[in-house]
Amino acid sequence: MPHMFQLAQEPIVTLCGHLYCWPCLYQWLQLHSHSHECPVCKAIVQEEKLIPIYGRGKANCDPRSRSLPGVSIPNRPMGQRPQTAPRVNMNYVRPNDLDPLTGFMPMAAARFGHMTLSTLFGALPRFLTSSAKNGRTLTLTLSFSSNKTVFSKLKTSENQSKIKGNKKSLQAPTTTNIEAPEPGGAPPVTGGGSDGGTVKQPPPAAAAESKKVGSWKLKGLPKKVLAVLSNLPLAIAEMFAIAALMALGTFVPQGETPDFYFQKYPEDNPVLGFFSWRWILTLGFDHMFSSPIFLGTLTLLGASLMACTYTTQIPTVKVAKRWSFLHSAEAIRKQEYSDALPRASIQDLGVILMGAGYEVFLKGPSLYAFKGLAGRFAPIGVHLALLLIMAGGTLSATGSFRGSVTVPQGLNFVIGDVLGPSGFLSTPSESFNTEVHVNRFYMDYYNSGEVQQFHSDLSLFDLNGKEIMRKTISVNNPLRYGGITIYQTDWSLSALQIMKDDEGPFNLALAPLQINGDKKLFTEPSCLSMLARDMQSIVLYDQEGKFAGVRRPDSKLPIDIDGIRIVVLDAIGSTGLELKIWALQDGTTVVIGGKTNRAKGELSDDMNFLLNQVPEIVDSKQSDIVSG
Amino acid sequence: MIFSTLEHILTHISFSIVSIIITIHLITFLVDEIVKLYDSSEKGMIMTFFCITGLLITRWIYSGHFPLSDLYESLIFLSWSFSLIHIIPYFKKNPNFLSTIMGPSAIFTQGFATSGLLTEIRESTILVPALQSEWLIMHVSMMILGYAALLCGSLLSVSLLVITVRKKRKFFSTSNHLLNLNESFFFGEIEYMNEESNFLQNTSFFSPRNYYRSQLIQQLDYWSYRVISLGFIFLTIGILSGAVWANEAWGSYWSWDPKETWAFITWIVFAIYLHTRTNRKWKGRNSAIVASIGFLIIWICYFGVNLLGIGLHSYGSFTFN
Repeated sequence: MPHMFQLAQEPIVTLCGHLYCWPCLYQWLQLHSHSHECPVCKAIVQEEKLIPIYGRGKANCDPRSRSLPGVSIPNRPMGQRPQTAPRVNMNYVRPNDLDPLTGFMPMAAARFGHMTLSTLFGALPRFLTSSAKNGRTLTLTLSFSSNKTVFSKLKTSENQSKIKGNKKSLQAPTTTNIEAPEPGGAPPVTGGGSDGGTVKQPPPAAAAESKKVGSWKLKGLPKKVLAVLSNLPLAIAEMFAIAALMALGTFVPQGETPDFYFQKYPEDNPVLGFFSWRWILTLGFDHMFSSPIFLGTLTLLGASLMACTYTTQIPTVKVAKRWSFLHSAEAIRKQEYSDALPRASIQDLGVILMGAGYEVFLKGPSLYAFKGLAGRFAPIGVHLALLLIMAGGTLSATGSFRGSVTVPQGLNFVIGDVLGPSGFLSTPSESFNTEVHVNRFYMDYYNSGEVQQFHSDLSLFDLNGKEIMRKTISVNNPLRYGGITIYQTDWSLSALQIMKDDEGPFNLALAPLQINGDKKLFTEPSCLSMLARDMQSIVLYDQEGKFAGVRRPDSKLPIDIDGIRIVVLDAIGSTGLELKIWALQDGTTVVIGGKTNRAKGELSDDMNFLLNQVPEIVDSKQSDIVSG
Repeated sequence: MIFSTLEHILTHISFSIVSIIITIHLITFLVDEIVKLYDSSEKGMIMTFFCITGLLITRWIYSGHFPLSDLYESLIFLSWSFSLIHIIPYFKKNPNFLSTIMGPSAIFTQGFATSGLLTEIRESTILVPALQSEWLIMHVSMMILGYAALLCGSLLSVSLLVITVRKKRKFFSTSNHLLNLNESFFFGEIEYMNEESNFLQNTSFFSPRNYYRSQLIQQLDYWSYRVISLGFIFLTIGILSGAVWANEAWGSYWSWDPKETWAFITWIVFAIYLHTRTNRKWKGRNSAIVASIGFLIIWICYFGVNLLGIGLHSYGSFTFN
């Protein structure tokens, strides 16, 4: 590195603040052709950024030192001449109105040492050059501020003529542009602009500030409530509460009689030391999922959802959509990820980002790109979906009809008779007058004897007896008509048809016998016992309860028990259709309401309870026959 | 009956603990940067994945229905999902920690499924009428995939908690449960720290090891968030498709069946996790705690409810003799 032991000839200072004589620096830069760096501190040195130092009088120029063999040293760069100092009534940007993104900046000179900033500056000339070729006037601003002054730097295409030592007269800058950095609102300008230029007031900063204050000036109760509801910890606490209540609802058996709770959670020996039946019945834990405490918490969560969507997420989308430019390298460096690219053009970066799917906005030397705005919409979408589900659930809980009925093969029921309203908003419809006739009920079996599918062949008749629809339904295959849906849920054996001593046939009604789990066994409580496991096999026991034999209904083989000849003709099945509400009906038809797909223990209890109530069928000769 | 239930419960508890311990152990591996065994575990997992795929396809063909009709088949599907999640980053050339979690999980789930505990239901059974629907494929597979991803993510959070807790405690405090538990695994680390701490007592933050550890914590946090988000999506789709299927089959979208309720509770807990991550103060430690709670809740939802044996989802129940 050449060093001088006398005063520098043609002194020149770099942006990083080191003083050299121009010939020596020039030679240094030529030797290090791949990276122009300051000999002392290795900062980037750009020739157009060098600042000449003019002393008094002429430069003492020693011709010998000017030229070295093989190298002709050009003239010293002229430096840059900023605009003439402005008049007093220029717009000042007060420090208080600064957007926090840029913050306070020290004087411009000290900033010049920053490598990234110089890179930004370095990005400018090429950018300017390229747009200068289009003949447009370029306006770009970089604003720095200290406590007192505003320093704005302005370049136009005319200034480019000063680069590389071309001597042209400096034209007065055509525009003065002082911009208050603010979060967004400024439209992107890529080299546009007229000779007139723009003078922008800094109102948005003040407006932004007043907006912040305004949100705290709560105009009455609704805003306060809204603010409280959209509090995140509250929402999390609500969700925890709902989860805990639901868990409790699965541990405490639901829908039982109070006696059950008296026994299971006695007061003198409470579970966990305090949990007795009083807790359960007063708080409504026996019907947890429709209890006031649970529904109240759900409503609160719904209110929080609405409040949060309104106050937080919709504005977030608005903010995310706004373009916010960062105007200083320091602000850029403060981001989570930051990097510096020497000798790069911001336009190239913009093009690459566009190719990667970003939406790019370029304003002067500043670039702002975003991607994934859809991600801002996702929480709103999810919250809205949850609110819709809640609304739908509420509507169906208050405004629908349900019913379930067990109908033996060959019999009818009227839809309206078996449906009951579930809430105060339920109104019956025209299709309630339809009569449903069960033509046939049958089951498909696998080779191993297990049930494959249940089928019910149904016909719908209107008031005049005309058949309007006929369909065979099965599980997962419901029938839909006029807003009513009929589901195949379950089946039961309703009667055994037998011949006794060649008399009959007799229909013996069957009652279910619960053994374990979900298996159902049907037995006939009389002198002889017949056990129907399913429609395929009937097991017969004699009067003492000893096993007598097994018969399949199709075989029609007789069996002798205790001197009586029995032929099992058929097992008459009845199909269970879930219509979502249950009703109770008296009469000769085998119609029993029951929630067959829930709490199956409850079903058998209810059936037994009903069986004890229904009177005997007149034309049956067997003793102790109970029709149910 | 009681003893078999107790045995079953103990099996699950030990299963979970062993999963966690194996996870910690393998994280120790990573921290010590022993990479020699890395390749073999990757290749082993790929082979496992193909084996389980073959098993599922065979069951599918043999029984004629999608192999997801009872607990045993769902367990196999779960281990399949684990191995799937394990090898996807491998194909994307993404070196990360999922393999550490997924490998042992798949091994354990598969081992449990094929162990002697469930022999009586290992034969392929026929579908009951309620399950004969196209929705079976969608609903159950989404749920199991969701469980797998959520388990993975919550295990990552558990390991994050472990590492964070270890970092905060002075390593020489003797009355330390964690220290005692992990001492057998972290022997090498103890010695290393012994040497270092003499001159790095207060500036331990700047040692390369601690830098690496905070990098690890960051990575764990990041990956746990991503995997749990994916699992959350699967879980949501599974619950929604289950509700629609229930409407088709039984006439009501939601009937507060224990299994449905617990799936909803799981969903809520992971929604809480995602919400805690939006708050900058709670991000990190607290969200990891929530995800760890979620780990337990998934097991309750998947296995615990089946133990009760009631309700609509009773095909998943089983008994021990």
